[in-house]
Amino acid sequence: MNVLQSVKNLVRSKSIHVAYVDVGSCNGCDIEVLACLSPRYDIEQYGIYVHNNPREADILLVIGAYTPGWEEKLHTLWEKIPDPKVAIAVGNCPISGCLFNRPHSLIDPPVSKHIPISAEVPGCPPRPTEILTAVLSVAPIVFKDYEVSKR
Amino acid sequence: MKRTVDVSVPLGPIHPCFKEPARVKCETKGEYVLSAEVELGYMKKGIERIMRGRPWQEVMFLAERVCGICSVIHNMVFIEALEQISAISVPERAALLRVIANELDRMQSHILANFSYCYTIEHETLGMYLLDVRERVMDELERITGARVTCAYIVPGGVRFDIRSQDVLHLRANLAAIEGEVTRYMRMFESGPLIGLRSKGVGILTREAALEAYAVGPTARASGMPDIDRRLRHPTYKTLGFTPVSRTEGDNYARIMVRFQEVLESIAIIRRCLDLLPVGPIRGGGIPGIGEIAYSGEAPRGELSYYIKTDAAGRVVDISIQTPSIMNIEACCHYMLKGVPSLADVSSTFVSADPCIACTER
Amino acid sequence: MSLPIIPYLQEIARLEWLHKFFFVRTAPLVTPSYSRGFPELTNKTCTHALFCMMACPAPGAIDVIKTPDGWEPRIHKGHCIRCGLCVEACPNGVLTSGRILESMFNDSTRLSFSFRIDVDTNLCMGCGNCAVACPVNKLIDTQMAYGGRASTDQLLLKVSDGKCHVLHAELCTGCKTCENHCPNEAIRVSRLLEAVQIAEVEP
Repeated sequence: MNVLQSVKNLVRSKSIHVAYVDVGSCNGCDIEVLACLSPRYDIEQYGIYVHNNPREADILLVIGAYTPGWEEKLHTLWEKIPDPKVAIAVGNCPISGCLFNRPHSLIDPPVSKHIPISAEVPGCPPRPTEILTAVLSVAPIVFKDYEVSKR
Repeated sequence: MKRTVDVSVPLGPIHPCFKEPARVKCETKGEYVLSAEVELGYMKKGIERIMRGRPWQEVMFLAERVCGICSVIHNMVFIEALEQISAISVPERAALLRVIANELDRMQSHILANFSYCYTIEHETLGMYLLDVRERVMDELERITGARVTCAYIVPGGVRFDIRSQDVLHLRANLAAIEGEVTRYMRMFESGPLIGLRSKGVGILTREAALEAYAVGPTARASGMPDIDRRLRHPTYKTLGFTPVSRTEGDNYARIMVRFQEVLESIAIIRRCLDLLPVGPIRGGGIPGIGEIAYSGEAPRGELSYYIKTDAAGRVVDISIQTPSIMNIEACCHYMLKGVPSLADVSSTFVSADPCIACTER
Repeated sequence: MSLPIIPYLQEIARLEWLHKFFFVRTAPLVTPSYSRGFPELTNKTCTHALFCMMACPAPGAIDVIKTPDGWEPRIHKGHCIRCGLCVEACPNGVLTSGRILESMFNDSTRLSFSFRIDVDTNLCMGCGNCAVACPVNKLIDTQMAYGGRASTDQLLLKVSDGKCHVLHAELCTGCKTCENHCPNEAIRVSRLLEAVQIAEVEP
């Protein structure tokens, strides 16, 4: 059991599948996540694959400030991700609503009201290196000994 | 008349090819797409409602965040509209610096659009090459303005930071490298046989259809409408003397090629700006006053219009923004997607029109 | 058939190639010095002018807090958008971010604030709440601090003939206390921000 668990820990920290969902951002964080794919930052050398398919994802990058169009949909999406799973809030919008958190706005931040968020990357938008560091540092901690801690 | 529809295929809102949430519903017969409609409304934040009653230093940042990809042009159009209202003059050096920042932004936006097209037709190698070039452009943008994406560079009466002499050298050297690489990738795109199969003759938008749908920007210029470029009416661009790019095919291939050629055009414009750059102040000062105006500029995706009404203290009383993507999405869904040979081409055709959902819905 | 594959296999079998394939990473990327990060404190003394808070476009991004050593601006991550307006608006250079301070020094650029008070005479009831609440008035005339009558004309706001009058608008510090105390929304303070470049004075 212990050997199996350590193998699982190793594999889970070396192969991370990422899906991202844009719940009403300005696109700025969106393209910074895309820039992580570029050869300069090369997210895949760390074993992180951006698939944008929730059903095979381990980590969900939430971008944007929860607009009314996403009620229920975000929760459905979160339930489709198989366990173990983690959501990371990228940018100011999911953390605080950024500039849009003003009277008369339609948004409903923070996103942590709607799905559990394990890590936050502040910045408007954060640099690709910051996103990369966040994903890399969160994944091994959260996925470690998942089966043991679940019991 | 009753139509024979096999199945209605929805794409999105979460789709591996779409970077932003939008749903395209395609009515298909076999693989053949009969008609398509788009469903928007996942990104509505109500920015125009937030903007009302706020001074320029707050609205400027909200305007930038209408669209994160083409943030500089939103900043530029808003500030220039305010300047027109209250007759604030801009020093010549600042006007040219604005053009440089704007053209760098246009370059990175076009390269990103071409990347997502190459990624969608599964030509990942070319896509990654393009992303690598884009990082060079982002470097230059950061070197001049201090930030990669939302630069906050343009303020009433000038720009925020001056360009230093070592930055000019760096920019010139980097432009030469970018030009070489973009030319090489353009040739790869032109001559790639598989790219040709996926792009040539797919998603045709004729000139008549483009006129009917009020298509703007590179989408319209690929259908043979060069005079749609708003830069031809801009006072600073007029002195630089450039000719807009246009092609006549109107298919996916033409739209991507127009963007490639515009990147080269932008490089030429930046070089001319650097040659003309005079020594002098970068800020003229000036406080916005009362007035109302409709002003438009050329965003990377097409014509962007602002209608602004201010009160005596320079606060925005009423504002309405018209972004280019809404016309292009209309043209894409009602004209291009009709008769697309297979479902696989739907996503690539949709991406080739470079829709920006964030600025469509605001 | 098998011939072209041999050099290829030889190429892969080289230790150098294998090492590169499995272990080489892109160079660790550093944030360049000219990038605008979150504003950081310099060693200058904050004078509690609050221009940083007035210029800040993001809600709840910056506060000026009283510490045992004096006033100190605090940036709240998750709210701050790293625009750098607070750095440019600060008259003392308390904050720094990227090369903003350096370029302000080189090009002698800055953001200057001026304030404008508009009183809507149709709405104003002459209650005097604004004149009593105004912190500038309290400093000039100590009677005003206790809700008394104005004894001098050197005030910022004064009620006479049943209406509020702005006497010395240049004294205003833009705190908007009057706006918050007005029961009828008759008074409005606008903070006018101007991006200026002061030409260098020849000695």
